[in-house]
Amino acid sequence: MAVNEPDPRGPLRAIGRQLRAVLITAHIFAVFILAFPAPSGGMNRSAWSDPTVQAEFVSWSARLQAMGLESSPESLEETLWSWAQSYMQRRRDLLKPFMPYYRYCGTYQTWRMFIAPHRNPARLHIDIYEDGEWRPVYIARHPQHDWKGELLDHERMRSAIFRYAWKHYGRSYKHFGEWIAAEAAEEFPEATLIRLRYERFRTPTPEQVREENRPPSTFVHPRTFQLETFR
Amino acid sequence: MRAWRRWVALLDRREVGTTMALCRILIGAAALYTILNDVSIVTPVLLDVSEGGYRPLGEGPFLVRWLGGPSKELTFGLIAANIASSVALIAGVLPRVMALVCLQAHIAVADLNTQAGGSYDELLSNALWLMVFARSDTTLSLLCRLRTGRWTDRETLVPAWPRYLLMFQLLLVYTSTGTQKLSTHWLPGGDLGALYYILLQPSWSRFDMSWLAWVFPVTQAATLGTWLFEVFAPLLLIAMWGRSDRVKAGPLRRLLCRIEYRDLFAFFGVMMHLTIHAVMEVGPFSVISLAFYPALWHPDEWARMARVIGTASRRSAATSSPSRTPDRPAG
Repeated sequence: MAVNEPDPRGPLRAIGRQLRAVLITAHIFAVFILAFPAPSGGMNRSAWSDPTVQAEFVSWSARLQAMGLESSPESLEETLWSWAQSYMQRRRDLLKPFMPYYRYCGTYQTWRMFIAPHRNPARLHIDIYEDGEWRPVYIARHPQHDWKGELLDHERMRSAIFRYAWKHYGRSYKHFGEWIAAEAAEEFPEATLIRLRYERFRTPTPEQVREENRPPSTFVHPRTFQLETFR
Repeated sequence: MRAWRRWVALLDRREVGTTMALCRILIGAAALYTILNDVSIVTPVLLDVSEGGYRPLGEGPFLVRWLGGPSKELTFGLIAANIASSVALIAGVLPRVMALVCLQAHIAVADLNTQAGGSYDELLSNALWLMVFARSDTTLSLLCRLRTGRWTDRETLVPAWPRYLLMFQLLLVYTSTGTQKLSTHWLPGGDLGALYYILLQPSWSRFDMSWLAWVFPVTQAATLGTWLFEVFAPLLLIAMWGRSDRVKAGPLRRLLCRIEYRDLFAFFGVMMHLTIHAVMEVGPFSVISLAFYPALWHPDEWARMARVIGTASRRSAATSSPSRTPDRPAG
């Protein structure tokens, strides 16, 4: 092409540059609004009644009172609940046009990672009933009681097992228990029952650990299965 | 209008492909690591209850639905596609196509059981999506070797904007998670016990971390450091802007450049991810996060680093090998 001859692709190239900038801007906007802080996944009243969440209300209410703002934990919870509901509704409307982009292109942005330590975590215990007594076969992170440890300690299962300690995952917890029972029925032919339960405890403060005065734990969400039905 | 013109001009920038090639290799390696990690738990976790899985998977994610619903054959086929495309991405064989294949296979496999996943799945899919648009095979790839007879090519230029988007994505992750850390255990003014208590949670710890009670102040410092690092991550954008235009930079940009904020940020981030990987079981999250880090450096900076390392290794080889000059006879 001669030096002075206009580039026939010039206008197209200019449009292409503008279009690219528009699309990149749309991408940035789409991922930014989805990543913007929101209580997604936490809009569940039973999850809000968890002791860890309740402790946060108590703590924040005390903070606000120290700043001269009158607020009880209960009123703070109610205010936040109604605010969160309306915020989430507006957020849903805003995100709606971008949903296909998140779904098909893998651009979901849910970065709520360890936003608060779970002060009342739960540890999964699996026991079998054999020779007239209960015997532990799996306790999460226990070096000896590690039946199925390769699976249950895998990060994908940790994620699932963490969820099943919350009430609203009760159905999946039941499915998980049935699968575990079927496996145990084969591997422990003498056992008659299997029990899954979570040991819930308050994480000890540094002082409590140093003084060997850990808070007592309680067992929650027990589920027992007759192994005979799985044989 | 002026701001828009500057934005269009910024997205028009081109650079040598070294940085994008490094990102491609690391993102491909992270994808491979992620899928190989899942191979041992396919049957109980990623298959439907009718085929040995522990829970009903329903219709599955969109690709699985389009291909007839969850089945053993489809799941293993997707895993094979995931592995093959990750390897191709590392090698630099049709990287844009392979990134798309890897992305779709990854979404399909990871979303089969939505209760058994983590943020790392989304971080990886975001990285792969950006690699679909990146021209990352001009250097450090099989294509480069076939085209030029060498493994590296310092002449072919590629668009720089995918690198900017990788950087933006990394900062978005940190800022989003940091600004949502509203627990009194995280915030300055609270007890700064967040990391201590998180590391005591049996779900995520690799081993018993009760010994942290004796070094609680260290965990408090780490909590504050992590919170500050995440919440103030956007400062990196200002620092990078300052680096690109030092003459017009204001006092904040000049300060961030003077203290080499980008390098401090990267050092803290890398240390944080290595520590998380060592003490917590959160899957390949750290591995995937670190795959974004090469994007923080311009290809010219990578070339300078390679020269420095090359010179140092040549010097080290020269001093450790026996002298070529024959020893003088005694006397």
